[in-house]
Amino acid sequence: MRALAAEVSKLASLPAAWIAAAAGVLVPGVIAAITASSALGAITRGAGTTAGIDTGYQELAFGVVGAIILGVVAMSSEYFTDSAESGGGRQITTSLTAVPSRLRLLLAKTAAVAIASALLAVAASAVTMSVIRVVLGEHAPALGTGDVPRLAGVVCYWVYTALLAFGVTVLTRHGVVPLAVFVVNTSVVTVTYLLTKITPLANYLPDMAGVRMFIRELDVGTAGIGPLAGCLVMTGWVAALLVIAVVAFTRRDA
Amino acid sequence: MITVDRLVKRRGSKEILAGISFRARPGRVTGFLGPNGAGKSSTLRILLGLDRATSGTALIHSVPFARLRDPLATVGAVLDGSGAHRARTGRAHLRWVARSAGLPRTRVDEVLEIVGLTDAASKRVGGYSLGMGRRLALATALLADPEILILDEPVNGLDPDGIRWIRTFLRERAASGRTVLLSSHLMGELAETVDDVVVVDGGRVVANGTLEEVTGAYRTLEDAFFALTTGGAP
Repeated sequence: MRALAAEVSKLASLPAAWIAAAAGVLVPGVIAAITASSALGAITRGAGTTAGIDTGYQELAFGVVGAIILGVVAMSSEYFTDSAESGGGRQITTSLTAVPSRLRLLLAKTAAVAIASALLAVAASAVTMSVIRVVLGEHAPALGTGDVPRLAGVVCYWVYTALLAFGVTVLTRHGVVPLAVFVVNTSVVTVTYLLTKITPLANYLPDMAGVRMFIRELDVGTAGIGPLAGCLVMTGWVAALLVIAVVAFTRRDA
Repeated sequence: MITVDRLVKRRGSKEILAGISFRARPGRVTGFLGPNGAGKSSTLRILLGLDRATSGTALIHSVPFARLRDPLATVGAVLDGSGAHRARTGRAHLRWVARSAGLPRTRVDEVLEIVGLTDAASKRVGGYSLGMGRRLALATALLADPEILILDEPVNGLDPDGIRWIRTFLRERAASGRTVLLSSHLMGELAETVDDVVVVDGGRVVANGTLEEVTGAYRTLEDAFFALTTGGAP
């Protein structure tokens, strides 16, 4: 528990983690404001009557970049090497002399990332859904009991995505590559989505499976993967990656 | 008590340590001396569980560092630079380390005071000078008031005042019965600080004994060092 308290304290005092939090709330919030206003325009022109079933959820699928940044910086900050003039030190040496058990250190870090990304997902969901309600007013899709499992799916997707980014960074020991790959795939060019056009197997990639926990109308169809199956597939990816990360982290020189 | 026994470390075909053995005893300052690349840092990193030895053992109170029940209260370590992330303040860095050992927040202010960083505690570590970073690393090592201090090149980057201060400080630690092991490639700085000397060169121990024994027939420790190591070759 002390190791976890230390990891939570580390994240809370890391400015990059707060940038991640800001991105996680602002990205889906701002996109929601834009899409909701254009939907409102369409409704008032008579082009449509209600907003789509995935209103808000689509935005939260993009907002996961906040969780990605969080997962990456939690680990890359350990390996950031100071300039030679500052002595060329790295925080990982301090971390491992304070908590020498590598397994314990990595589990504490995993837990801290999971807790922080879950809180971030809850805040982002609240902001995004509120923005849609404020902009669309009576035209907003009503939030009902059916949204409870979907919002839980959002939280789960954010936590898992943060852990995937975290796990890859444990292996790379550097933040730039995982950050670029994960953020680009989420926002600019969704490579995993394009792959589904080539092979249906791509539907089992972690992000394509995971979004099915809360997105109901994917244009690639259901591919036979429901919300629960999507959750299980992504759980499998996260578990496998974290096992590889633990093995690598406990075996190699720091 | 630190016991290093026949420590070997290979990276690929390169032999970094070729069977290092020595002890560091309580109540004494042990100097671990050698030119750059002699294997000093590698030995200390293995001793602290950061790197893995190819063979041999490096034990603290007869157990590997990773198995110590209360690592921070047993060993304080000062390695490269500050050991802190540059975006955090000095105080925030000490706070998370204190949390990891269940130490009270007041201890953070105490160690800041000891190393003279109280005024810079709210500044980001990225803005610290090399010497301030070293002081922060020492403050981190002192948080749980450990029995053993392990310092890699502690005088690097310190100004003359800082060097004088750390000498006195380490002498006081040893005088109170604690163990101090420090590495250095600067002989002149060390002759007045150490009781025991271990000289390494090319991954091997070339001399091991009390300061008087190692200095031996030479005029100074520095002369002995250059005669014993390749550092003296032109």
